[in-house]
Formats: sequence, C-alpha cells, structure tokens
Amino acid sequence: MSEPNATEMMNRLLNGLRLAVTEMMTAMAMSEVVFAGQESCDAFSLSSEVVGLVRLDGQLHGMVGVACSKDLLREIVSRIVGLAPADLIMEDLLDGAAELANMVCGGMKTKAQIGNVNLSPPVSIVGQEYIAQWKTNRPTTVFTFQMDEGVLRVYASL
Amino acid sequence: MRVLIVDDSSVMRKIVARGLRQAGFKITDILEAGDGQQGMDLLKTDSNFKLILSDWNMPVMDGLSFVKSVRSGPPAIKNIPIVMVTTEGGESKVGAAMEAGANGHIKKPFTPETLQTELERFLK
Repeated sequence: MSEPNATEMMNRLLNGLRLAVTEMMTAMAMSEVVFAGQESCDAFSLSSEVVGLVRLDGQLHGMVGVACSKDLLREIVSRIVGLAPADLIMEDLLDGAAELANMVCGGMKTKAQIGNVNLSPPVSIVGQEYIAQWKTNRPTTVFTFQMDEGVLRVYASL
Repeated sequence: MRVLIVDDSSVMRKIVARGLRQAGFKITDILEAGDGQQGMDLLKTDSNFKLILSDWNMPVMDGLSFVKSVRSGPPAIKNIPIVMVTTEGGESKVGAAMEAGANGHIKKPFTPETLQTELERFLK
C-alpha cells in the first residue's frame, strides 16, 4: 500500500479525531456526545477555562487542543473515574484535561492508521484568564461537540 | 490478588483501578505509583503482585525503562507480568516494550470488557 500524501494524511487524521472524541466519551465517560459542527479559522488560539494540548510530529506536524469549561471537565472526569465531582481535586482536573487530549489524539492516530506521526506528552491548562496560542501558518479546524453539561471543542492545526 | 498501577496521571490510575473492579476481577489491593522509579522503590519492599499495569510516558523513569528495571531486578519481582497501558499504539513502541519483557499492551481508551479480555490470563 502506498504512503498517503499530506492532504490525505490530514483528512484521515481529522476524520479520526472526530470519531475518537465520540468513541472516547462513549467508552470512558459513558456520556452522550453529539457532533454539532465544524469550522475553519486562521489562528490556533484557545481561551476556555480548560485546555489539553498534544503536539504532533514526524511525517506530519501539528497541534491538537481539547477545550471546555471547568464544570464540564469536572463532570467528564467524574464519570470517567467514578467519583463525585465535588471529590475531585485540582490534580485530577489537570490530569483529566491532559488525559482527554492524550486519549483523543491516541484514538485519532489509531483510526487514521498513519504510523509515522508521534504524539508528545500532553500539556494541560486549567485557569480563568489566559490565551493559549500556537503560531502557525496552517488553518485550524474546530470541531464542536454538544454534551448535556456543556460544549466541548477540539482544535486541530495540521 | 494484588495489582500495581504505575502511571503519572492520578486520573488514569483511578480509571484503571475502576476498570479492574468493573471487569469483575477478584482483586484485594490496588497499589499505585506515580512513575517508574516510584514503582521500583515500592517493589523493593513489596513484591507480592499478580500483575503490574504501566503507562509508557512518565517523568523520572518511563514505562520502557521501568519494564527493563523490573526484568533485571531481583528474583522476587523479575517475573511479575507487566501490561503496558498507553495511547501509543505504534507497532515499534509496542514491539520495544514486548522485547524489553512486557507481557501485553492495552490501548486507551478502553472499556471494562477490554480489560476483562486482555487481562484474564494474568488474573485467573
């Protein structure tokens, strides 16, 4: 089988990313998640309360970010680990944001079936006022997912 | 039956522990370590584990180094089965872990059913 070109790799990864979010939320968080749209923008700039980031390198370079409110993250992590939201400590939220990004990107890579793309360890940000920016000349695709407790957005610049 | 979970993520340690219990294994104790070095330190004083589940990417000592350390460790620990739990599904990384002495590999995300299927041979 011939190696996919850059456009095909990007399309495979974006499709894989979208599917991975739904699968991860269903399998791990037992949450219903509805794909609510996709848009493209020029900047990779995230300012939600919670962000998990994973860098891609190898045959294709890029950045993927998962973003939501702190309340939604608390609910997702609560469901994943089986603890009440109020029992989660800050470390759980930081690790939870990182694991969301980690699992979504792992699922994306598996579904895309592209071997030569490496994933960095995840970075997590949980805060109030910040902007996380990655300067790139490539466009960013933003997937929006609606959950009962709020909106989850996944950013990908590939 | 006792299991050791080695992972730097508090959330992932909780996820794995919960998954093991939901999978129906009769586990009496689940101990946790935050990285490979902590895992080795714990194993020096307590080697009574039926299975070790280890992450790949960890600070201080990563999963691959941890597997190598256990396999070259004292007789009490060197034969404890180790299953890697990681998002890295790349064949080369799985191959490297198996070559180093890991006994299996589980990809995240996973379900209790996946754990049941993959770990049954170790936790009978």
